[in-house]
Amino acid sequence: MTLNKHSLLSGLFWILLLPAMVFSQNLEQFEQNVTEFTLDNGLHFIVVERSVAPVVSFVTFVDVGGANEPAGQTGIAHIFEHMVFKGSKTVGTTNWEEEQEYIDLMDEAYRAWVNETYQPEPDQEKLDQYWAEFEENKEKASSYVKTNEFDEIISREGATGLNATTGYDYTNYFYSLPQNKAELWFSLEADRFQNPVFREFYEEKDVIMEERRMSTDSDPFGRLTEEFLSIAFSAHPYGRALIGWPSDIRATTIEDTERFFRDYYTNDNFTFAIVGDVDPENMRDLAETYFGGIQSTHEAPTVKTIEPDQRGERRFTIEEESQPILIIGYHTVSQTHQDYAALQLLSAILSQGRTSRMYRTLVQDKEMALVAQTSVGFPGSKFPTLFIAFGLPNQEISIDDLEAAIYEEIEKVKEGDISQQELDRAITNAKANLVRSLNSNMGLAVRLAQTHGQQGNWRQLFNRIGDLENVTLEDLQRVSNEYFVEKNRIVGKIVNRSSDEVAENQQEN
Amino acid sequence: MKKLILILPLLVLILFFKDADAQKSWDEIEYPPLNSFEKPDVEIFELDNGIRFYIVEDDELPLINLRVLLRTGGVLVPNEKTGLQSIAGTVMRTGGTTSISGDELNELLEDRAARMETSIGLTSGSASMNVLKDDFDQLLPVFIDLLQNPAFPENRIDLAKTQQKSGISRRNDETIPVGIREFQKLIYGGESVYARNTEFATIDKITRDDLVNFHRNSFVGSNMMIGVIGDFEMEEMKDLLSEAFQTIPAGEETELHFPDVNYEYVNTINFVDKSDVNQSFVMMGHIGGLRENPDYAKIQVMNRILSDGFSGRLMRIIRGQMGLAYSVFGQYGSGNFYPGIFYAGVMTQSETTAEAINAILDQINRLQDESVSEQELNDVIDRFLNSLVFEYDSRASVLNERMSYDYAGLDPDTFDRLVVEIQAVTVEDVQEVAQKYLRPEALQILVVGNGAEIGDQLEQFGEINEVDISIPMPGDDEEDEAVAGDSEAGRTWINQMVNTLMPDGIISGDLIFEGENIVQTQMGEITIGLKQTINFEEDRLIAEVEAPMGQITMQVIDGQGAMFMGENEMPMQAAQRDEMLNEYYRNPLYLAINGDELDIQYMGTVEMDGMTLVHLTVHGNQTFQLYLDPDTSLPAILTYRQLDPQSGQMITLKQVFEEWTYSHGVMMPYSSTIYSGEEAASVVTLETHSVE
Repeated sequence: MTLNKHSLLSGLFWILLLPAMVFSQNLEQFEQNVTEFTLDNGLHFIVVERSVAPVVSFVTFVDVGGANEPAGQTGIAHIFEHMVFKGSKTVGTTNWEEEQEYIDLMDEAYRAWVNETYQPEPDQEKLDQYWAEFEENKEKASSYVKTNEFDEIISREGATGLNATTGYDYTNYFYSLPQNKAELWFSLEADRFQNPVFREFYEEKDVIMEERRMSTDSDPFGRLTEEFLSIAFSAHPYGRALIGWPSDIRATTIEDTERFFRDYYTNDNFTFAIVGDVDPENMRDLAETYFGGIQSTHEAPTVKTIEPDQRGERRFTIEEESQPILIIGYHTVSQTHQDYAALQLLSAILSQGRTSRMYRTLVQDKEMALVAQTSVGFPGSKFPTLFIAFGLPNQEISIDDLEAAIYEEIEKVKEGDISQQELDRAITNAKANLVRSLNSNMGLAVRLAQTHGQQGNWRQLFNRIGDLENVTLEDLQRVSNEYFVEKNRIVGKIVNRSSDEVAENQQEN
Repeated sequence: MKKLILILPLLVLILFFKDADAQKSWDEIEYPPLNSFEKPDVEIFELDNGIRFYIVEDDELPLINLRVLLRTGGVLVPNEKTGLQSIAGTVMRTGGTTSISGDELNELLEDRAARMETSIGLTSGSASMNVLKDDFDQLLPVFIDLLQNPAFPENRIDLAKTQQKSGISRRNDETIPVGIREFQKLIYGGESVYARNTEFATIDKITRDDLVNFHRNSFVGSNMMIGVIGDFEMEEMKDLLSEAFQTIPAGEETELHFPDVNYEYVNTINFVDKSDVNQSFVMMGHIGGLRENPDYAKIQVMNRILSDGFSGRLMRIIRGQMGLAYSVFGQYGSGNFYPGIFYAGVMTQSETTAEAINAILDQINRLQDESVSEQELNDVIDRFLNSLVFEYDSRASVLNERMSYDYAGLDPDTFDRLVVEIQAVTVEDVQEVAQKYLRPEALQILVVGNGAEIGDQLEQFGEINEVDISIPMPGDDEEDEAVAGDSEAGRTWINQMVNTLMPDGIISGDLIFEGENIVQTQMGEITIGLKQTINFEEDRLIAEVEAPMGQITMQVIDGQGAMFMGENEMPMQAAQRDEMLNEYYRNPLYLAINGDELDIQYMGTVEMDGMTLVHLTVHGNQTFQLYLDPDTSLPAILTYRQLDPQSGQMITLKQVFEEWTYSHGVMMPYSSTIYSGEEAASVVTLETHSVE
């Protein structure tokens, strides 16, 4: 078989229409399988019946993340997320009442110790005394602990994929069970969010410090992005370390973490999604039974800080042993802003797929970049966020030349160089990606819960695709000219130094 | 079962008194029976050309997914061309076919949100297409064209090679890949097909013919298994596939040869120093086994005792109780085709490296020294049995399992038998396989971490073997060959050069020369006046420079760098001092005087810049290439590698010597030009030189 130009052209016409049709059929079918309800106390549930296999996935989406953290307590959203795995007053302990007494004493000693370390002239005797009290009570508290009992209970019943993620915008808790064991999720999930315990809190902070070393301190890309965000945002909390600055992690106490939970984990911040081989009515009954009694008395505070306009380009360079890495950012808008759809399409046209502009030019034809990728919605999308371009120059290509080449591609877009075919292609692929994502219980549950949690309606997941269809070539040009300007730009680089030099300079310092 | 009988009367009581809708704690819940799940049948048939099809209908989404699983792999590739299979897999797709170019193919597919990909790994190859069902008929012929007639154009081969090389240059940047790579080399051996590295040199040796041949031998019907799943009618699909794939030649079935691993159990401690981290990545273990081992089920239970999500011992103790790590893991690996590896690993802060290693060692020993409790064993078996339902949580998982078992030569009921065998495992079995297969006294330990922070912690594990992970650079080909170079001839040529440069014998005292240096900078051309004094006996360098911003004196005396501007002394950066010293070490006069202490290899003659020159490789404080004029024995060209601070990359620089002039018993080049690529970056011209 050979494929000639003619068949290529005639094919193009009908294909433009087809995905739209396939897509709307699927949405209608899909909608029939969705049930949602809100309990009297405000807790919202979305249930999707999907009986492909006798399994079910659960997601607890909390509309609270790193961006909500009080000043001086960076990382606390993530610390709390870890604590939720420690069980409850009945799970993970041999005697909660006694354990709690020692936990309180331990935290009291730690708070005294932390405060003393920040005195102008810390009293070593006091420090030693507080630390000894802390260690002693920690030891006693740990004697009641059944480590990882929460996980053991659900794993024994066949749970898979137990985990959670903390972002700047949200915290997500999830796992899957055999479908006949759904009630176990209701029982344990209601219990652990109603009665959180701060068990093995200080051991867990050590674990989190190791997570920080792994993901940030010991990883060139982690180091670069942490630096990049802290420079990009001078006021908005997107500029803080999501995992927490080391001193904040060290200073955070159980008292702080409990206060964070009480303030922010309010009923209206929760969305639950259940997707799998389950009966929606049965799910509603179980939700009433287990979650109906959870009351919250106040509304969670919201983020009020707005990032002020940047007054000029911001740039920095990190000299490292690592090979060069480039990241460029432009301040843009949040996901609910009307320009967001155009920015998503611009990103797709610039770097998604082998026909995209940056792939074709920078990766393929000029062989300048190993990777040249753009994205909108970094580091979050609930608040005004960044459009970023990320590049790894090929060997023997200067990082400055790659930066200039990326600007060339952006300039072309600003001059209106994009064709209708490219725009259509980007929309078609966005739709197809959504269709393809509908075949996994967990993937669906996460998307539906997040969309409802952030935007108040899961249908927005599909409506946003409609927004894409309304974007015109003029929109793309207008939006790129509005946001992709030097004054609005942040540029961060890792440049390589030979290890010998780095080692010697470190010795000198 | 005894437990159940005791509990039942209690349950009845609870149920009787409690409202059916009341909350229950986790241990009070009664579960209804699991909804039934019918494993879809996999329709299997074979064509005359040897292609075996595996088909499953799945109408949930309007998509069709087709995947070719191919008997081929990197094990077929000789060491000198390591990476060939990967480039073949990449360029097959990016290069398009003889009738549709790569760019056209990309547009054709992306306009339809369709995907086609090809890739070849160590033990198998894969080609896949995932398309909207309405596009299937139109795109299938394109896919078959791609399988049969890939074009392998030079520009896409070049692209794939560039990308591979960039990957090589970046392979030491992150700890985890370094640790995994070097650990595999410890276990299988650095030259083993299971652990070898793709290098600049192996990529350079791969030709288009290699790719074409590799493809021709691999992509034949006898090597193909094809799985198809999606929204279609079975009979129609079978007809369509039979018709479409019959054009593929049967060819000859490829025999994959998996070399034996001759493993010797040894106890070693190995260290990779990485000064930009504050956390150690530790891998420890020894060779593992094969899937066909009759003890496989027992080993799986042992693995899950050791490490199984949050519930294994490693996570519970080393993370949960000791707080030593975020990530800790381990298992005895069983390979389908060649032995797996028994490994345990952890990432822990530099200061607790030894503590974490010992904590893992304790857990490995414990598996041998004490039997697990009935409770722990039952928990593992329950976890396994109750999560079985996830083994087939989609129709695609049934298809994929069947194909991978067939490919590995395992019976279709392999998994069902494993389930039965796991239920039969006893506490004695677990201890027995731990004693039989684990060798905690003969572990190879690898630590990738920060040597300055780790200190002497590793000494307790034995004599430390420092692992060199420096990347052989493209220009180092010559260095590799230097081993085979001729050092005697090298010595002869250097002696001739010495006689020419210093005909009256080795000079003594200060060599002083004056001139100017024209440098190309981003701000344009800058001319700098230059007076330099070198004392070769004392390694003393003084450069007085007339720069646009005034006079600066730079000096290196007794290895210490210093700069003076007028009366003011300023610190000299280590990098700058090293640069001055390197320039000194490359000075042909330095070579002439210190030649005895250097390793100088004669590499033959080469054509360069229209001249036939004698090529010498000099290994000293720096490695570089020196090219002599065979008629005069004078240096004509010198090339060396250096970091370009602008780009952050290593680049090759070329220095050309001209206008050799004699004075005070010594020859000096009155013109020397340094080229970066085609550009003359710096020109030094001399007016006088003397020895005082």
